[in-house]
Amino acid sequence: MTNDQLQHAIDLLRPSGDSRLLTHLNSCVHCGLCAESCLFYLATGDERLTPARKADLVSSIYRRYHSVTGKLLPWLVGARELNSESIDEMVELLFGSCTLCGRCTMHCSIGVDVTFLVQTGRKMLSEMGLVPATLQATVQAAVETGNNMAIPVEDYRDTLQWMEEELTDEVGDPEARIPLDKPGRKILYTLNPREPKFFPLSISAMAKIFYAAGESWTLSTRMYDVTNYAYFSGNDGEAALIADRLWSEMKNLQAEQLVLAECGHGTRAFRWESPNYLERSFPFPVMSSVEYIAGCIREGRIRLDPEKIRERVTLHDPCNLVRNGGVVREQRYILQSFVPDFVEMTPSGIDNHCCGGGGGMLSMSEYNEWRMKAGSVKAEQIRRTGASIVVTPCHNCVDQLIQINAFYKLGVRILTMAEIVADALIIEHETRIAKQSRAPLK
Amino acid sequence: MATMEIEGRVFEVDGDGFLADPGIWNDEVADLFARYDGIAPMNEKHWQIVRIIRRNYEEKGMAPMIRTICRETGLKLREIYELFPLGPARGACRVAGLPKPDGCV
Repeated sequence: MTNDQLQHAIDLLRPSGDSRLLTHLNSCVHCGLCAESCLFYLATGDERLTPARKADLVSSIYRRYHSVTGKLLPWLVGARELNSESIDEMVELLFGSCTLCGRCTMHCSIGVDVTFLVQTGRKMLSEMGLVPATLQATVQAAVETGNNMAIPVEDYRDTLQWMEEELTDEVGDPEARIPLDKPGRKILYTLNPREPKFFPLSISAMAKIFYAAGESWTLSTRMYDVTNYAYFSGNDGEAALIADRLWSEMKNLQAEQLVLAECGHGTRAFRWESPNYLERSFPFPVMSSVEYIAGCIREGRIRLDPEKIRERVTLHDPCNLVRNGGVVREQRYILQSFVPDFVEMTPSGIDNHCCGGGGGMLSMSEYNEWRMKAGSVKAEQIRRTGASIVVTPCHNCVDQLIQINAFYKLGVRILTMAEIVADALIIEHETRIAKQSRAPLK
Repeated sequence: MATMEIEGRVFEVDGDGFLADPGIWNDEVADLFARYDGIAPMNEKHWQIVRIIRRNYEEKGMAPMIRTICRETGLKLREIYELFPLGPARGACRVAGLPKPDGCV
């Protein structure tokens, strides 16, 4: 690492016009109430992992370089140098044992945005080139190939063709389509690359919902990746580059509305962060597919069979969609509309526990052991519901839950929202044609 | 680098239990890794999947699409998820000795 990199990292904490950073760096009163909001503390009982300790690590470096007492009498105010010891600790605490779930921020007695401080610490580490290698590899794949699993475009097309065949079989209509690169459609839909690569049933499920709703939509081959791992790595330049591609594709395809696939961080990074990265506001509406599906039910555009799902179903709330993204009621509205035995976890909604795989953790092999340990909290929550199906509108959460399911022997099935909805969808050909004639496909 | 012991054999692996050196992979390693995940013994379908993943990795340097696995084995998608409950990546690719794929897996 060069001295320049070190200085740039220190400069990120320099007091400037940003009162937000200054406020949160200086406000923690060490009450300790945040401890029990944190998955890593709950799962391990290790006091080093409490949110306050993570916040203080960043604040202590700020004090050392940017406060008078910290410069003169560092020991008096617990100011620390940015050196190999504190840097190692930052990597371990800010990348390795925090999923940026934001539950501590919500529970803080005085409103310190701990997550924002952890994110600031990650930005410092990114400046110093210290993002964990596996996380950086995922960002790199997205930057270099246009999707975070480096899927070649012909493989992508081939898979969508295959899913289109599934769709036509499923709805019994040879004309049913998964449209690709169609300009002028109402909706541009996106995917998480793990769908075409390994778990494509959620693609045909969503296509079935669009079909039943008589929707005008398209996918893109140039830019379909809903994820933005640079949000996790703390590299705003790369995050902006990835986000800008989706903005450009909206313009390119002249779509009216963007519907984001079931992806917590992707929704947050695009919907709430990208206007900041790119310093412009949206000229088009952006919504999650959960909100889209709820809208279809509310408007009577799709109908679901209440006899179809007989098992007990519970819901896992992805932190970045729910607590940090404001989509709280729509997923419940959907499930309650057709699942007779729907039960909530405790706690749930904006107070829900993270699955343990957020914040880029799922991609970071370095911390697999902690991730599984942190997942014990979620495993226990699921077990207590007695449910046999867990629905979650986030592909990242799905993968973590698949692992928790095996590791803690829960014996449940994990489904995305589109998958459970598609299972119960009533396909009415006549209704669909009538809908299309009212709103013709462009 | 972490290590993982399976039935007396010690392997160097990444934190997720993927083989550190894909070059040392052979049928015996596949069998042991599958055992570790509770798949014992692997049946003909497991082997078909593992061989296609391995071949794709050796030819193209990456895991194949699930589409390729289904096409070449003739297996249904849901069958693959049942055969490897941890999924194509953390289940099948790990048994085939690949490095962990990037992304949300």
